[in-house]
Amino acid sequence: MTDFPQIQAGKSVRLEGVTKQALEIGRNRLILAGCLLTLAFTAVAGRVVELSALRDHNEPTVPTAAADAALQTGRADIVDRNGLLVATSLRTPSLYADPSEVLDPARAARRLTTVLTDLAVPEVEAKLRANRRFVWLKRSLTPHEQYRVNALGIPGLHFMDEWKRIYPQSSLMAHVVGFTDIDDRGISGVERSFDDVLRDGREPLHLSIDLRIQHIVRQELAHQISLFEAIGGTGIVLDVDTGETVAMVSLPDFDPNMAAEMSDDQRFNRATLGVYEMGSTFKIFNTAMALDAGTVTLRDGYDASKPIKIARFTINDFHGENRWLSVAEIFKYSSNIGSVKMAMDVGTERQKEFMGRMGMLQPMSLELPERGYPLVPSPWRPINTMTISFGHGLSVSPMHLAAGVATVVNGGIKRPTTLLKTTGRVLGEEVLKPSTSEVMRKLMRLVVMDGTGRNADAEGYLVGGKTGTAEKAGGGRGYARKSLLSSFVAAFPVNDPKYVILIMVDEPKGQKFSHGYATGGWVAAPAVKRIVERAAPLLGVAPVDMDAPEIRRDLLVDLPDAGGKRLASF
Amino acid sequence: MRRVTILWFLVAACLGVALFLVKYEVQDREEKLAALHREILANQEAVHVLEAEWSYLNRPSNLEAMVRRHLDLVPLDTTRLGRIEQLPIRLPSFEEAGTMTAGIREAAAATDDLPAFAPPAPLPRPITISAKVRR
Repeated sequence: MTDFPQIQAGKSVRLEGVTKQALEIGRNRLILAGCLLTLAFTAVAGRVVELSALRDHNEPTVPTAAADAALQTGRADIVDRNGLLVATSLRTPSLYADPSEVLDPARAARRLTTVLTDLAVPEVEAKLRANRRFVWLKRSLTPHEQYRVNALGIPGLHFMDEWKRIYPQSSLMAHVVGFTDIDDRGISGVERSFDDVLRDGREPLHLSIDLRIQHIVRQELAHQISLFEAIGGTGIVLDVDTGETVAMVSLPDFDPNMAAEMSDDQRFNRATLGVYEMGSTFKIFNTAMALDAGTVTLRDGYDASKPIKIARFTINDFHGENRWLSVAEIFKYSSNIGSVKMAMDVGTERQKEFMGRMGMLQPMSLELPERGYPLVPSPWRPINTMTISFGHGLSVSPMHLAAGVATVVNGGIKRPTTLLKTTGRVLGEEVLKPSTSEVMRKLMRLVVMDGTGRNADAEGYLVGGKTGTAEKAGGGRGYARKSLLSSFVAAFPVNDPKYVILIMVDEPKGQKFSHGYATGGWVAAPAVKRIVERAAPLLGVAPVDMDAPEIRRDLLVDLPDAGGKRLASF
Repeated sequence: MRRVTILWFLVAACLGVALFLVKYEVQDREEKLAALHREILANQEAVHVLEAEWSYLNRPSNLEAMVRRHLDLVPLDTTRLGRIEQLPIRLPSFEEAGTMTAGIREAAAATDDLPAFAPPAPLPRPITISAKVRR
C-alpha cells in the first residue's frame, strides 16, 4: 500500500484507476438514492397539498362532535291549537324473560305474581317453561313495579325500554285523537289518519281543537245527558270561516290510556261515524233551498191548517198553529206541513241537487278514519222529498249537519271541515247566494227570540239556531215514538257568525221539570246557551247590546201577517 | 454540525411530548363531551316526562276542581265584559289634581260616607258596532 500518494492539506488530489472507478460508482448510487427519496417526498407533499388545500378547501376533517343530542321519542306529540299536550310518548320499562336462564319456573312465577298482581301464576309459569329465548311477561311497568321486580332478584328476567303512548287529557279528546296499539301503530282517530306523519316526524301535530272549549262542551253535554237520562250524545263547535273543528265530543267516551277496556258503545264516534235522521234542524237547509231557488220569498207562505196525507202516512205539525203561515213562521214554529209544501214547490230533482251541493250525500271531508256514509234514498221519490224537508229519510252524521249550517250562515261558502290548525284564509266554494245566507241568519235568530229555541238565548251573544226532535227509526218499520234524538244547532253571534255549535242528545227521557218534554228546545238548547256563555270569552267573541238600534236593524225580518198586512218583527 | 443535530433532537422530543399530551387531552375531552350528551338526553327526557305530567295536572277538569276548592272565581258573565270605549275619560294625574283630591277628602271628612277615592262608574250600556258586511 505504499504506492498511495501522500495526501497533503491544501493540495488537490487526482485519483486514477481502480480508486477513481469505485468513487464514481458510489457517487452514482448516492444520486440515484437521492432522486428516489426526492420523488417519494414529492409524492407525499403532493398528497398533503391535495388533502389539505384541494379536496375540502380547508383543514382536513377534524373529528367533529356528533350533532347536538336530541330526544327521539319514536312518535311525534299531538298538541291542541294552543300547544297543550294531547298525546305524547314516554319511555317505560317492559319485562321479558329468557326461559333458558330461569332456574325454577314454578317458584319464579309464584314470586313474580306477588309483585305484579295482575298476572296469573299458571300463565307466567307456562311462559317461563317455553322453549324459547324470549317471552314478554308484562309491557309498560311503572317505575315502582320495576323496582320491586328488580328487588326479587330472579335470574332470567330482563327489562327493555319501550316508548309508550300517553294521553294526559285522558278521555277528554278520546274520539279525536283515538289511540295506538301496543306496538305504537295508530288504531283510530287522528293517531290512525296521521300515522305516517306522526311516526316520521319530530315536530308536534297541531290540532284545531281548543281543549278549553272541548272541556266546556263535554261537561255541558254530559250534564244534559244525565239530566234527561239519555244514552249518549254529541257536541260539535266549528269555526265557520275556516272549517276548523274547535270541539268535537261524543259521549259515552273512553280513556285512550286504557283502550283495551272499552266497550263498542264507548268507542263509537257519534259525531262523525253515526248517521241519523236529524229532524227539524234540516229545515234550515229546506228553507235555504227554497229561498235560494227563488220559489218563495219571506213575503210568501203556505196554508198549514190541514195535515198532509200521502200513501199510508200523515204528516202533521208538532206545534200545530193550524192556519196560514208565512215562510218565517213555518221556520219559527217548525211546521212540517209548511216545510213539505215548500219542498214540493222546489221539486225532487232540485232538492237532490241541492243536498249534493251542500255535501249531504257524501262522507265528510275530515281527517278521521271514522266517517259515516250518509244513508241516501234510492230512488229519490216525491215521498222522500216530503220527508227530507223536515229531516227524515236522509241520514247524515252530526258533523254533516254542523258543516252544512256553517255553510248556510257564513255567506254560503262551503269549506272542508278539518281537525288541523289552519292559518290564513281558507278558500271555499260558493254554494248559496249571500242574500240567502243573510235571510237564514235572521230566521235562525227569530227561532231563538220567540220560537222553539228560546232556551238557547245567551244574553249579549246573539245566538240564532234551530231545534230538532227526531223520532229514531225503530227496530222494524216505522218510528219509535219514545226514543228521540233531540238536537239544537246554533250560530253565534248571528249578525256576523263566527262559530256553529251543535248539541245532540240521544234518547232523552221527558222529566218533571221539563213537563215531560224531551224536545230539542228543552234538552239541547240550554246546553248551547251555557256553552256560548262560557266559551265566547275564550273564543274572543265580545258581547253586544241586543237592544242597540244597529243590531235590531241587522236582524229585522219583514213579516207578512195572514191578512197580507206587513208588520215588522225581530 | 453537532449543535444543529442536538437542536433537531430537542425539537423532536418536544413535539413527541406535546403530541402525547394533546392526544390524552383530546381523549379526555371526548369523554366529557359524550358524558354531556348523555346528560342532555337524560335531561331532555326528564323535561319530556315533566311536560306530560304538567299537561296531565293542567287538565281543564282538574283545574276547574281546584279553582272550586281554593278560589272564589265564578264564570265570566257579560256584565263583567266591556270595551275600551266604555272607559270613562282618564282622571287627571295626582299632581294636577292635588286640589281636587283634597276637595274629595274634605268632603269625605265632612259627610263621613263618601269614600276617599271614588272609582269612576262605567257607562250603563255597552257601545255596539254594526255588523260588517260579510265578504
